[in-house]
Amino acid sequence: MTKDLQTKSDSALPRSYAARILLDTMGRWGARAGLLWIGIVAFCAIFAPVIASSHPILLQTADGQWTSPMLRHLSAVDVILLVMTFWTGLLLIVRMWVKYPWFKIWCFSLLVLTVLSLSFVKPPKAIVYSHYREILASGDAQYAFFAVVPYSPTDRFRERVEEMRLLSPSGEHWMGTTGSGEDLLSRMIHACRIALAIGFIATGIALVLGVTIGGLMGYFSGIVDLLGMRLVEVFSAIPTIFLLIAFVAFYGRNLYLIMVILGLTGWVGYAVFVRAEFLKLRQQDFVQAAIACGLPLRSVLFRHMLPNGITPVLVSASFGVAGAILSESTLSFLGLGLVEEPSWGQMLNETRGLGGSFFWWMGIYPGLAIFLTVFAYNLVGESLRDAIDPHLKKASHL
Amino acid sequence: MTEPLLRIEDLAVNFDTPSGVVKAVNGVHLSIYPGQTLGVVGESGCGKSVSALSTLQLVPTPPGCYERGKIWWSAKGEPPVDLLTQTEKQMQSIRGNDIAMIFQEPMTSLNPVYTVGEQILEAILLHQAVGRAQAIEIAVTALEDVGIADARSRLKTYPHQLSGGMRQRVMIAMALACQPKLLLADEPTTALDVTIQAQILELLRELQIKRGMSIMLITHDLGVVAQNADVVAVMYAGRVVEYGSVHDVFDRPQHPYTRGLFDSMPRLGEEKHRLRTIEGNVPDPGNLPSGCPFHPRCRDWQEDVQCAQAVPPLQEVFPRHWAACWHGTGCDQGNASLADIPPVSTTA
Repeated sequence: MTKDLQTKSDSALPRSYAARILLDTMGRWGARAGLLWIGIVAFCAIFAPVIASSHPILLQTADGQWTSPMLRHLSAVDVILLVMTFWTGLLLIVRMWVKYPWFKIWCFSLLVLTVLSLSFVKPPKAIVYSHYREILASGDAQYAFFAVVPYSPTDRFRERVEEMRLLSPSGEHWMGTTGSGEDLLSRMIHACRIALAIGFIATGIALVLGVTIGGLMGYFSGIVDLLGMRLVEVFSAIPTIFLLIAFVAFYGRNLYLIMVILGLTGWVGYAVFVRAEFLKLRQQDFVQAAIACGLPLRSVLFRHMLPNGITPVLVSASFGVAGAILSESTLSFLGLGLVEEPSWGQMLNETRGLGGSFFWWMGIYPGLAIFLTVFAYNLVGESLRDAIDPHLKKASHL
Repeated sequence: MTEPLLRIEDLAVNFDTPSGVVKAVNGVHLSIYPGQTLGVVGESGCGKSVSALSTLQLVPTPPGCYERGKIWWSAKGEPPVDLLTQTEKQMQSIRGNDIAMIFQEPMTSLNPVYTVGEQILEAILLHQAVGRAQAIEIAVTALEDVGIADARSRLKTYPHQLSGGMRQRVMIAMALACQPKLLLADEPTTALDVTIQAQILELLRELQIKRGMSIMLITHDLGVVAQNADVVAVMYAGRVVEYGSVHDVFDRPQHPYTRGLFDSMPRLGEEKHRLRTIEGNVPDPGNLPSGCPFHPRCRDWQEDVQCAQAVPPLQEVFPRHWAACWHGTGCDQGNASLADIPPVSTTA
């Protein structure tokens, strides 16, 4: 086995450990399937206003002028996401031919774009979704090109509210409508953003905290470890959902607050993982050699030890992302999530109508989306784990 | 008389373990002069590695603890400093720059996630005020110095693509890239096969002559010491039991332990059926026997002498040849000051 690996890696180009793990992971069907679904969700999240919007993408008014109401109604976040996606693609394509510090340029342009769009992108405040439908009906416009799903997530069809409520799936509304008369598919697509953001940001906060605290505990051991482990015990005793409910009750429904709380309570698992890895690693010869070279602590910890100990943490982080999505869904399902922004858990909440009525499309589609996303992250995590430790996989099959 | 580059005085290092305090090093005196190779020999667990690690403050604390002693380091022209009292920041500028270390296991001493070049460059950029392009040139020269062909392209290889001997060469190149004055070589050839072993030792000797640095060569192989060291220190149970120039120690070993070691080694041209062994086992460092730690295994031990009661001090039995045994057989010259063990002739 090891001999096999040896000859393989010797014959190939010099490959780093990370590259080998990545290649091995990508070779597994679980990772591919999981990443495919995450890719679909990410695509929907980025292009949501282009895929689902009540504003026509192109509109030719009666006097023959072409306009794009969709573009005019983009928010600052929409603009940042769309522009950065294309810009990243362009940077990466150019990188194939020319070597340049693309990451620095990327970070810089993200900063510039954020500042610019926050100060200059001002979508109209009062939005009348029915406006363009009325224009078309009255013949004031010659031509209008709508998005694939021609409804915005908060478009409640003011002109005919009563008849639009809780329609079951049909040709016009592929996934039916909600209790307020919004198109479910449009809301599903726009909810991808929250699902992705909450998972990545909450886990990101938890990772940074966990790796730093766990790394220091493992490296210094002794009294630092003793105090750190007590801190871990204190934090692991906090009931996350209860804390979330309490905070939402006091400080209102704020997505960022939810992310921060999930991050602040989720780091303990990573800290314990990293601590165990670092306790093992600090005895390793190459760490001793790095210290003996006179490298500063920062470099020893984060350049030499962390890359060798991070892989198991990444595995648990991919499960952590799934957990964060579930937590947000739980909160929204309990009716404590966001109000205006669509989220899968919140839609699930509306499945039960008054008087025990049940609207199946409100349960199936968001439920399936939550299930598939959590499943996808778990698949990726599992493939990553198998790639890092082939023995574990063998043992689990016995 | 020149000043010693490094002088270890009465060093004692303890380890707190669940089964009690282990005295890994218990009163070691050593000194290394510029350009000299000091061979430190002893069985596993006798404290030779811990002595070297203490020099760079690399003993993990906890569980380790520097119980007592001083390690004087005197770089050119400056008053000696005690390495054990230096702060972490001060140590960082000494490690790799003044004192470098190479380890026993070349297979695990290089970081698997970085290329050889990245690891050498990091050390060079840290200690020398040079730009990246210049650092690459220094790294290439360092690799060429240790006999690696095609050094420039080797910079881009990962450690797993190199053989054990190559990795040890890379380790040496890394350690020597910043021109240290002292190299601590902790069993540098133990993990390598005999031909590679000879090449690496030859290489170390060449580089030493070229750069005039000192080497502390830790090994359990008496043959390696005989060929490479100028001065030899034999360690047993955390103490130096015999100390002298290679010729003196090899020609007339004074301590029964040293004699036992030589008896258990086959010699060329000498017909022997069975080698003599040293009876018994190394004592448990957490539970040393009273008096001379070697006495339960000693062939010369007689009940009537003080062996079992008191630890014998290191005494000068012949001029510039010390042994720690109550049965000192040499001429009694009186106790020389242990704090200043004078240099043994380095012209071998």
